[in-house]
Amino acid sequence: MPEKVFSRAVFSEGQVEADGFSIRFWEAGQGRPVLMLDSTGWRRSMLHDALAEKYHIFSLELPGVGDSPANTTSQSVAELAATAANAASALTSERYTLIGTSFGAHVALWQTLQKPEQVEALILISPTAIVPQNISSAATALEVHQLMFAHPENARNHEPISEQIFAKERDLARRLNSGVHDSEAEARLGEIRCPTLAVFGLDDCLVSPEAARVYRENIPNSNISIVYDAGHCIIGERPEALVNSVADYAERWETFIIGHQTGLINP
Amino acid sequence: MKASYFGAMGYSERQNFPRVWPIPPVYHDSETSVQSYQDGMEECEFAEEMGFDWLSFSEHHYSGRIPTGTPSVMAAAVAERCKKAKIAMLGHLLPLNNPVRIAEELAILDNLTNGRVVAGFLRGTPNEDQVYSINPAEGRGRLLEGMDLILKALTEPQPFSWEGRYYQFRTVAVWPRPVQQPYPPVVVATRSDDTIRYAAEHGLSLAVSFLPVDQMEPLTDKYRTWCEEAGWSPGPDNIVYRGSIYVGETDRQADEWFDSLMQSRPGPNIPLRRTVAEAIQSARTGGDFDLRNVVAGSPDGDVVGNSLGINFVGGPDRVVKQLKEFHDRCGVGVVDLLFQQTRVDHRGVMKEIELFGNGVIPQIKEF
Repeated sequence: MPEKVFSRAVFSEGQVEADGFSIRFWEAGQGRPVLMLDSTGWRRSMLHDALAEKYHIFSLELPGVGDSPANTTSQSVAELAATAANAASALTSERYTLIGTSFGAHVALWQTLQKPEQVEALILISPTAIVPQNISSAATALEVHQLMFAHPENARNHEPISEQIFAKERDLARRLNSGVHDSEAEARLGEIRCPTLAVFGLDDCLVSPEAARVYRENIPNSNISIVYDAGHCIIGERPEALVNSVADYAERWETFIIGHQTGLINP
Repeated sequence: MKASYFGAMGYSERQNFPRVWPIPPVYHDSETSVQSYQDGMEECEFAEEMGFDWLSFSEHHYSGRIPTGTPSVMAAAVAERCKKAKIAMLGHLLPLNNPVRIAEELAILDNLTNGRVVAGFLRGTPNEDQVYSINPAEGRGRLLEGMDLILKALTEPQPFSWEGRYYQFRTVAVWPRPVQQPYPPVVVATRSDDTIRYAAEHGLSLAVSFLPVDQMEPLTDKYRTWCEEAGWSPGPDNIVYRGSIYVGETDRQADEWFDSLMQSRPGPNIPLRRTVAEAIQSARTGGDFDLRNVVAGSPDGDVVGNSLGINFVGGPDRVVKQLKEFHDRCGVGVVDLLFQQTRVDHRGVMKEIELFGNGVIPQIKEF
């Protein structure tokens, strides 16, 4: 199978003000807007490049994650989501496809609940809002990093975040009560009216396998996608499969269930 | 006219499911399911005992309505219980499947039944395209090539390679050979001109499902014309009609059942989200599809789909008249009947089979 090559997009860095935060973002591409909330700040991936071929991408560095200063202001995931929504409003006046990964997906879920008029479609990659697995509070950055992969060799091929960033994000997560089951979000899943895709690695050990069916059962127009042979960090283990699923859903929403690849061998 | 009992094997609690397709597997209960298949096989046995000539099986997926996604498995089980009736596969959804595998299944079934198999090929309803992620735009091409490949696989005595448009095999050598030579009777289930013509030109039978007689008549007229052009005349077994039936003890009792059914406002048999249904139809006809033009439906999922009518309703004598119209106007020689209707349980189906066997079959055999 030839590797799918995506042209390397030119991302430009900018800053947007929202709720007293100066939030960095990376922007590329043209077309309908797509807002991406990554779990640990800006880490360019094949998914960013693939989506930038068709869409106008804004990748936000959520306050308190990645290289951003410590966030000692936000008091809940919902509050952080409101900040993200305000930042999005400053970046685009159009409705957008919202893509969140891991903790970023938890934020994206609340952003959609609070600002449904802004979100055209929602894509949650390895979302941690519903039945996340317990991780020891004593776990180090490296130990958590290793838990994110189905295969140790894949963990070794990716750089873990630094202990400093890890400690900063852990403090934020504790204050926001992230990393534990969000029963309030679960109770409100039925309010999500836009097309929604939830993507999980088959071997994700940071989120219970039950999570996928909770989204499917409760969000009226939703699909779940299971990526074989991947853990929590799908982009690090099966990037082509993730891109295929996410890009197809961003383009076709619920009709992505209809096969459209040709089976023609020879005309 | 011959009678065929459609072994739908419906899950008995299917009427309590939500109106969606696919039905989420969470609704499945093993005990209910096991009993439903037992009931379905008992109906097949009783139908054979009451004089039905064929028992038919059909490939459908992901719901309790006709839960026979692997119809060959179902047919093999029933064939061990029913030793006289034809085992009619009406049929396999060729665009979804590996045609060589279908050829192998048909050949084995024909051996297991000592030559009682009738093969049937069709494209399937639009929802079926989703099951194995087949591009709906390519379904017709896959069907046409799949039929050619199966017929070749069943008849070619030496291993061969196949270089098709959609299928490529470097070694095909189906074993065992079918008992019926050169191959079992083949029925093409279709309403489309190109596939009707294919059936006519290849000496194959035609099946039409659920259409009113007025709409079926022009199809069978075309089929007969094209058969004549191809140099042969179809006999009674070459034109099959599949319809839904409710036979009561009297016309009045049957009408009362039908009225109560209508009052319950039955939903579509295969309810699909509107956007999905339109996308499939557009792809099937080679059109473009822009989701954003049709996405105004509610997120709760406005569903679309046809609520199939009941083609034959009445006491035995009225049903005979209704069947005779299909025979006289369309040349139907085999009628394949779905008895498992909404609001009819296993006992009710058994009662209908008895009524049909005693009151209808003796009369239609005279046609």
